Amino acid sequence: MNRRRTLLGAVTLAAAAVALAFLVLPVAAIFLRVPPGKLLHQLTSPVVTDALIVSFKTSAIAQALILLFGTPLAYLVASRRFRGRALVVTLIELPLVLPPAVAGIGLLALFGRAGLLGTSIPFTQTAVVLAVAFVSSPLYTRQAIAAFEAVDPDVVAAARTLGAGPGRTFFRVVLPLARGGLAAGEALAFARGLGEFGATIMFAGSLQGLTQTLPLAIYEEFALDFDTALAMGALLVVVSAALLVILKLVLTWQPSRQTSGFLFARSS
Amino acid sequence: MRLILAALLAAVLAGAAAAQVETTRATVFAAASLTDAFPKVAPSARFSFAGSNTLAAQIRQGAPADVFASANTTLPEALHKDGFCSKPVVFTRNTLVLIVPSSNPADIHSVYDLRRKGIKLVIAAPGVPVGSYTVQVLKNMNLTSVLKNVVSRENDVREVLAKVALNEADAGFVYSTDARTVPKKVKVLKIPAWAQPKVQYGICVVSASHNKAAASAFVKRVLSPAGQKILLRYGFLPRVKR
Repeated sequence: MNRRRTLLGAVTLAAAAVALAFLVLPVAAIFLRVPPGKLLHQLTSPVVTDALIVSFKTSAIAQALILLFGTPLAYLVASRRFRGRALVVTLIELPLVLPPAVAGIGLLALFGRAGLLGTSIPFTQTAVVLAVAFVSSPLYTRQAIAAFEAVDPDVVAAARTLGAGPGRTFFRVVLPLARGGLAAGEALAFARGLGEFGATIMFAGSLQGLTQTLPLAIYEEFALDFDTALAMGALLVVVSAALLVILKLVLTWQPSRQTSGFLFARSS
Repeated sequence: MRLILAALLAAVLAGAAAAQVETTRATVFAAASLTDAFPKVAPSARFSFAGSNTLAAQIRQGAPADVFASANTTLPEALHKDGFCSKPVVFTRNTLVLIVPSSNPADIHSVYDLRRKGIKLVIAAPGVPVGSYTVQVLKNMNLTSVLKNVVSRENDVREVLAKVALNEADAGFVYSTDARTVPKKVKVLKIPAWAQPKVQYGICVVSASHNKAAASAFVKRVLSPAGQKILLRYGFLPRVKR
């Protein structure tokens, strides 16, 4: 019995080690393949800086749009019970399971010059923003629905009976309470958007300084100069890791604020 | 318990090994422009079609290719020089054309019309063979200024074709063989013979191949009269200029 238990423990540990190594090693390999000095040097090439600027600019705009439109959507879905609500939630989540290539085709079919709306958006930075927003929005909206649902309805009702209007209740009570969940969702959406590839290359094309984001530049450089591709990969790893760390900080920092009741005290 | 685990592990390893087993089918990494023709030349081979430079990079990173067929000779020559493949031979040739959507929204009738402002021109990325040929044509015609109208640099010739065929781009440079695959969707504008680059396709056997017999057989098949006939049927040019 005891032997069996130690064996089970050893197997569990081995499996865990394999799983962890599988996740860590490819990322570590990026940094091991190119010496840090060379890595930094390659990051000053115009292809890399252009891609970095395009990536951050389009991501920032896309995420702002997601917050602006996704938050009201998530709040409505979370706070109302209506027919077809399950369907709406499924539709919100759909881009999450859609292959990005399908997203690219869909965006072209709608916004393309020959598409339903017949716009001239393809090949512009707007196209990158739309592609990023489309594929990354479910990560935020889903989490936002859950965060709003977790807000105690009694607290909302109390705010309303104390005379706060719906707008004031939302901004002073609901939003601060849901903030942790919203931030977590937004961080994930931002990271996913930063890595967007398939929909972007199909819908927006790839042009240095205009529509070529970091992932697109990495793909192009892979065929031209593997070292530069590695350096860009490392850059994306660092940025994504930083996002993850910020996300964790936000999450662990939130509960203490909630229990302190500080945000309520101030809203009166 | 230990026995079950060992058996399980063995099964997993066997499965992984089975996936790696060399069959007699050659794995051919071929230029995207060969997408339609090559499977007809050797239906039993496995193909991976992409931009030649992407494929060359994959072979350098140890991708399990047996044959490399490139839309130029410089990429296989470079692989050969670095010991990644055999000495390449030219197996076919091609020509470049300018294509516009069949509705021709920007009213383009020659390469010179590309100079007009606001035209959405799509070409291939610099390292992609057709991208280099495109720049060469524009240099030959003293038209490098039209590069200002480029809205996207694609990673292989079929992506250029798709963007024009979808009517999203106003014009694009592809091989004449690509334009033939969607005759209803694109209109072909010829490039003068004097401005044509020398488009030669090189083929070589990958040094790391565990399947050299099948690889050589594939190359032989491509160079054979039967193989050449199929390439000609798809619009490719004879490997030696007559």
